[in-house]
Amino acid sequence: MLKGDIFSHEFIVDMEIYNGFINLFRDKNPLHTDLSFAKKKGFVSTVMHGNILGGFISYFIGECLPIKNVIIHSQEIKYYNPVFLNDQLFFVAKVSDVFESVSVVMFDFLFENAQKQKIAKGKIQIGLI
Amino acid sequence: MLSFDEILVQVNEIFKNILDNDAISLKTTTTANDIEEWDSLTHIQLIVAIEKHFKIRFTTSEITSYSNVGEMCEGIQKK
Repeated sequence: MLKGDIFSHEFIVDMEIYNGFINLFRDKNPLHTDLSFAKKKGFVSTVMHGNILGGFISYFIGECLPIKNVIIHSQEIKYYNPVFLNDQLFFVAKVSDVFESVSVVMFDFLFENAQKQKIAKGKIQIGLI
Repeated sequence: MLSFDEILVQVNEIFKNILDNDAISLKTTTTANDIEEWDSLTHIQLIVAIEKHFKIRFTTSEITSYSNVGEMCEGIQKK
């Protein structure tokens, strides 16, 4: 991978992912599970867990890169807009830097929804193992 | 051009930050054996931070040739 390389993938936060996340991690906060609560707080529907995007990042690193000998060293993510059930998300990651001496690749990434709203962005550092 | 001592001071700050230990006080003879938090993973983070900070790039052979902090600082100075 070279600096400037760009990778992209589309994700949908469907019911299987939403239920799977709740079943695995037990986060049933009303913002995620109670429609009336979410509406009272100003959202049009229940808000999907932000860390579902972390799962998508894991999928991207583990499955979408041209190599499999990778490990995540660190990642950071900032959220800008909520994600709702069945939202389609467009993920783009650009190689921002490469450190050959220690086999490290860094990415800047962005999630956008179908309305081109910025959902989240951040950085990922991976090592080549 | 930075002096050797200036480089050592800046490298020391990087070590404190990456290893989250304000008590670190590097000497030229310091090695990974002297700092508990300096393991194989933090070593990578240290090198990345040093390369970024000094806007340099090491080669793998350069990294492996340094036997202590002093030799690494000399390597930085030569870049």
